[in-house]
Amino acid sequence: MTGLPLAGFLALSSALLGVGLFGILTRRNFVLLLIAIEIAMNAAILNFVYFAAFAPVAPLGLTGQEIAVVLVGFAATEVAVGLAIVLALHRLRGSINVAEATDLNG
Amino acid sequence: MSLAEVAFLLLAAIALVTAAAALLVRELVHTILWIGIFFVDLAAIYFLLEAPFLGVLQLGVYAGAVTVLLLFGIMVTRKRIFSREAATGIGPAPLALAALTVVFLATALGEFPSGSTSIRAYPPTALSTDLFGAHGPWLLLLGVIMLASVSGAIWLVREGRE
Repeated sequence: MTGLPLAGFLALSSALLGVGLFGILTRRNFVLLLIAIEIAMNAAILNFVYFAAFAPVAPLGLTGQEIAVVLVGFAATEVAVGLAIVLALHRLRGSINVAEATDLNG
Repeated sequence: MSLAEVAFLLLAAIALVTAAAALLVRELVHTILWIGIFFVDLAAIYFLLEAPFLGVLQLGVYAGAVTVLLLFGIMVTRKRIFSREAATGIGPAPLALAALTVVFLATALGEFPSGSTSIRAYPPTALSTDLFGAHGPWLLLLGVIMLASVSGAIWLVREGRE
């Protein structure tokens, strides 16, 4: 059995969430925006895996890993749909700058 | 300091540096390279946490499929792949908001033990028995949702749609 610091892991995922949030707020390229969302989402998945590893009872730990498996599946789906939107946007506007996609503005 | 702790510190540093580099470099292809290293690094962290199934899943889905999909997204939306992204002015507000979020989350860190805690290993067989046995219907539902979203994605990019 290896010993690892839980607080260190939580600090890592907090910092990764911060990096992802920074990217979401500053990037205007749709692909970069998707990457920033993926970084933030990976921070969340990491949290589930830490708590699974540090859980004192077995069923709880398994649940954490199962949720992580489901989240990885959803993240892959989200990238597929996101890239479809990127292609549609590029076909319609010739640019994937999210600041220019204002069709649904009221 | 044990070997596992040194490995964790190293992997954490690589994760932070590659994530920041992916968002800050101006060449989009380099972004994909950095994010690929980031995903492989996270897989290494999963192996360190003795979650080998998730590590392999991370390597296959993220480092493999998602990275290639993102690269494909860049290739088809520009004339030359190696073209620089225009610099966007990074104002102080997004940086402050991100830093504030991290500080807010860091205040909760004191609640958790800062010393090393031993971790539990779950063999992939136990995980798959539970995932495909007790939670089988939910996994099927996940499959249906993924199928629906992939169909939606194909509908979005199909030819002749205006």
